[in-house]
Amino acid sequence: MDKLIPESWNIASKPHLFCPGCGHAITLKHLGYLIDYLKIDKKLVFGIDIGCSLLAWNFFNSDTIQTHHGRTTPVMVGLKMADKSRIAIAYMGDGGAYAIGLQSLLHAAFRNDPITVIVINNENYAMTGGQMSPTTPDGEITTTSPKGKEGKFGPAFHGPELVAQVANEKAYVARATVSKPVELQRILLEAIRNQTEKNSFAFVEVLSICPTNWKTNAKSSFDHLKMMEAEFPRGVIKKAEVR
Amino acid sequence: MTSIKILLSGEGGQGIQTIAKILSNAAYDDGYQVSYIPSFGVEQRGTPSVAFLTITRDRIYYPRFETADYVIILQKRAIAKIKQYIGSNTKIIFDSSTMKSSDLGNHSRFVYGMPATKYAIQNFNPKSFNLIITGKLSHILGLSETSVWHEIEKVLKSKFKDDKIRKSCEGAYLFGRKAIFETRTFSKPDYGPSRHKIAVRGFDKRAIILPERCKGCGICIEKCPVKALAFGETLGVYATPVPDIDLEKCINCGLCKQFCPDAAIYVEKESKAENRK
Repeated sequence: MDKLIPESWNIASKPHLFCPGCGHAITLKHLGYLIDYLKIDKKLVFGIDIGCSLLAWNFFNSDTIQTHHGRTTPVMVGLKMADKSRIAIAYMGDGGAYAIGLQSLLHAAFRNDPITVIVINNENYAMTGGQMSPTTPDGEITTTSPKGKEGKFGPAFHGPELVAQVANEKAYVARATVSKPVELQRILLEAIRNQTEKNSFAFVEVLSICPTNWKTNAKSSFDHLKMMEAEFPRGVIKKAEVR
Repeated sequence: MTSIKILLSGEGGQGIQTIAKILSNAAYDDGYQVSYIPSFGVEQRGTPSVAFLTITRDRIYYPRFETADYVIILQKRAIAKIKQYIGSNTKIIFDSSTMKSSDLGNHSRFVYGMPATKYAIQNFNPKSFNLIITGKLSHILGLSETSVWHEIEKVLKSKFKDDKIRKSCEGAYLFGRKAIFETRTFSKPDYGPSRHKIAVRGFDKRAIILPERCKGCGICIEKCPVKALAFGETLGVYATPVPDIDLEKCINCGLCKQFCPDAAIYVEKESKAENRK
């Protein structure tokens, strides 16, 4: 057996379509290890969005749905309503979750729909060439903000903090980063368990790297990620009290 | 001259669109009419990338074409996408150091090899192979040496971080202008991606690296706490160097495996019991 990759990965589709050094692939790798660990590859339904996340359409040996932009959350909510035995993971980028799909996300959190939402935050719209997105911090240079993001566009959007404000008390909200893979795996595990064991909503934002659009090499990608971690505090933001 | 229709094809990240941009700007500066249409997929790396170039003294009424005069192929995976544009008189130029001429199929009578990757790795820097192609194409088109170099400098300004890179790129470009095509006998495709598995066995551990998955991002090298990894000679799936591992230094922390986005590296401890078997 191939010891290099998680068993849940679809070997036929590897090497995958993500760019060299993509944070999506690091996240999906740890998600793959968790799917192996929890043995949920037959039960999992993996929902992907428009954007770089759609490149994961044949990533796992599990059922995958590709939805309209920002509509991954409601589609997975509907799927979970129809078949409670499945495990629904909505996987999308920050553009899909915070720009176009925010209302779906907030209402899913508000209603405590039992799904797990994973959002990859790389501070830009990566697939279309690195345009400014809601999560772009003040002053950062992107292709649509060549002089740095101006103040009138607002500061960087803090998704998990917002979701935690409106989410049901049983919901799980956290932020992880690809530079801390062990913590990333733990948070993803807790988020999946919040769905399977507590039948509640879970939301994880993963701070990710985008070497292609940041135009960085391996070292400066992680330096940039360190700056992001200063902007977006990582850790568990909301968790149900254990009684 | 009548119009020349050129089709550049390769893979995202190889600089296909950059070559096309440089050539079209330089030709326009030299007084030609130029049209350039890029065509590539949503992924930014690793899928076919094609550029349609028309260069003429006359007016261009319609920029697309059915049959190209020159087809430049820099990556095997792009052939399927551009087959339809090859006519019986199309001249095919391909990178003979990464592809076999038999990969091209029997589409054209005119096949020219240019081992650009080999020249670039041996004499210049590995990424300058596209400048060798640019040089050769600009020579075929009769564009002036200085105007093309001026254009290269303008487009690649941010890439020329120091004088050494600039010098080697200029060298590659000038070398390309003078380089001679291979006909009939081609170089061996020794510089293509490796398909084999690299297994290194140390005293108590074993490392596996798969070049067919490695994209050369360098994260494992960056994250290795004891600097046991460094770029080596082997080439990975995107023709980028694959890291070599020094198991003497390796402390088997597993960080490279944790971080590798492509699951291309793995180090495991071998227990003594297993060794005895």
